[in-house]
Amino acid sequence: MSSSEEASSMETTTIDKDLHVTFAQMMYHLLPNPYESQEINHLTLAYFVISSLDILNSLHLVEKEAVANWVLSFQVQRGTTNDPNNGQFYGFHGSKTSQFPPDENGVFHHNNSHLASTYCALAILKIVGYDLSSLDSESMSSSMKNLQQPDGSFMPIHIGGETDLRFVYCAAAICFMLDNWNGMDKEKVKDYILNCQSYDGGFGLVPGAESHGGATYCAIASLRLMGYVEDNVLSSCNLSSLIDLPLLLDWILQRQGTDGGFQGRPNKSTDTCYAFWIGGVLRILGGCNFVDNKALRGFLLSCQYKYGGFSKFPGDFPDLYHSYYGFAAFSLLEESGLKSLCSELGITNMAANGV
Amino acid sequence: MAGKIEDESNDRVPLRLRPEWSDVTPIPQNNGPNPVVPINYSEEFSEVMDYFRAVYFANELSSRALSLTAEAISLNAGNYTVWHFRRSLLESLKVDLHVEREFVERVASGNSKNYQIWHHRRWVAEKLGLEARNSELEFTKKILSIDAKHYHAWSHRQWVLQTLGGWEDELNYCSELLAEDIFNNSAWNQRYFVITRSPFLGGIKAMRESEVLYTIEAIISYPENESSWRYLRGLYKDEATLYVNDTQVSSVCLKILRTKSNYLFALSTLLDLICLGYQPNEDFRDAIEALRTSDNEEQDSDIARTICSILEQVDPIRVNYWVWRKSRLPQAA
Repeated sequence: MSSSEEASSMETTTIDKDLHVTFAQMMYHLLPNPYESQEINHLTLAYFVISSLDILNSLHLVEKEAVANWVLSFQVQRGTTNDPNNGQFYGFHGSKTSQFPPDENGVFHHNNSHLASTYCALAILKIVGYDLSSLDSESMSSSMKNLQQPDGSFMPIHIGGETDLRFVYCAAAICFMLDNWNGMDKEKVKDYILNCQSYDGGFGLVPGAESHGGATYCAIASLRLMGYVEDNVLSSCNLSSLIDLPLLLDWILQRQGTDGGFQGRPNKSTDTCYAFWIGGVLRILGGCNFVDNKALRGFLLSCQYKYGGFSKFPGDFPDLYHSYYGFAAFSLLEESGLKSLCSELGITNMAANGV
Repeated sequence: MAGKIEDESNDRVPLRLRPEWSDVTPIPQNNGPNPVVPINYSEEFSEVMDYFRAVYFANELSSRALSLTAEAISLNAGNYTVWHFRRSLLESLKVDLHVEREFVERVASGNSKNYQIWHHRRWVAEKLGLEARNSELEFTKKILSIDAKHYHAWSHRQWVLQTLGGWEDELNYCSELLAEDIFNNSAWNQRYFVITRSPFLGGIKAMRESEVLYTIEAIISYPENESSWRYLRGLYKDEATLYVNDTQVSSVCLKILRTKSNYLFALSTLLDLICLGYQPNEDFRDAIEALRTSDNEEQDSDIARTICSILEQVDPIRVNYWVWRKSRLPQAA
């Protein structure tokens, strides 16, 4: 960003909720042109927008039924003549780019169901209060098994793609929200996650990769959703765990920099989004108070844009992704006026509990 | 604005005006009756994707379809459907994959932080097999020379090493990068990857002695470097007894503590050692005593508690963590 003066943050000590609502509402009505390059992840963009409005306690601005119908229009139904063992996954398309009607026999030839889009679809549906039990969860789950690899990881789409902890997380969150775990071999998933814990205690996206805040969130949130890590484990007397918990804790706490923000990897810059990726892990483990929340708040405020939203770094222009994780981080900080977050699921507690 | 129109007319003829596309009827995007969270598409984007849908739906395996995928990728490089279709085209048109590699390189030069580019690159390398090894190692090296912590590039490199080989020079490469920037945590991670997985080095057991020496030297030069301390700990992964009993580890802690500067990691490492059973001698007690400030006057009953108290003072960001660590220490006899 060149014109940092223009983008300079507000000299303020509070989060300006109304401005953020306006920002999210603007995005809800029309995503600006630069977002077309992310069209394939349209449902993910929609998740950021709608979950933002939910966190900001402004769900009344969302036409819930229209949103639910729109999300459901991305679902790929298994046609009556489709072979159930054809290796495909029947979830949700990410966007309209490659969505085609079935042929005259009801067969879909272009199934691009994607795990991340399916996760976002279910998350949005839960936020707008759609009853997920009306979905054919068995078809979704049993076909999801086709995406699991021999090493336990998941590829995101049946036509092939990179396999890493991001899609392990999506798969776990989908199973959790559908309350149906037939879609995965949990033991294998667990082993894969454990293989991703690095020598320094954090988790890399794949075994052998450098520890990373986002990957660590995917690992811990998945283990929590699968029931392998108990809630608030740090408050219990016995710290024995599947993972090397003391090493993880030491690594994760070092992610807070002297400017108060969180970084994703050692010796890298602090960045708004890690306030959620790292903060979310701390919330699951029960270690939120082990960091300097006041300093974190100060860092986030320096990334707050004067017309709403959050930027990646102080003084930059905001974007949807960093704004969403800025709101999520403030929710973890228990900012008044914001709804509380179910950090392992990435939606508010009210949405998660179906209130 | 005038400049923009001029640019467009210079760079791009709309598909509908190109004679080679005149026989194709584009398929417009079906947004459904009630779209929400719509995207403000540019005309160019909509047109390219409408034509893409048409050739994709018709499964048209032609060279014009291949060039259309390039246009679509330039507009949304994350579109896995487009990339997937491109792979079908490359196969059916029997395109020289060396040329495709150059295409990937051009796309990556614009935006290399995109999973689909790297997935595609891997597909090409897999197809080419062993002959791709050096070019892939060179390609990642080039990216890493611009951004030495590029996660995708490191991930690709690790895949190349594991699948196609090329381990022989990798430890040297790590040393080079660390000589440039000893704080490069990605290079430390790669170093760990090499010493634990290279088929030529005999594994961590065989490498431990020389690696400990290398790391201790790095720690002494920059004791504030988290990366080197973590690497040192990693060299004793699942070997807690060895970690506690190796005097090289405790000695470097003592050495740093005595300098009275940049000693946070030395202090926390010593605390971990003690928690694992290490018995510090008088030298350590003296060094720790010398770090006590007037602020923490109350006498702690043992050295581990004293270390926690000092950490509470000198690492205020994590004060609650050190208080908690202290609370979990076994009660002194």
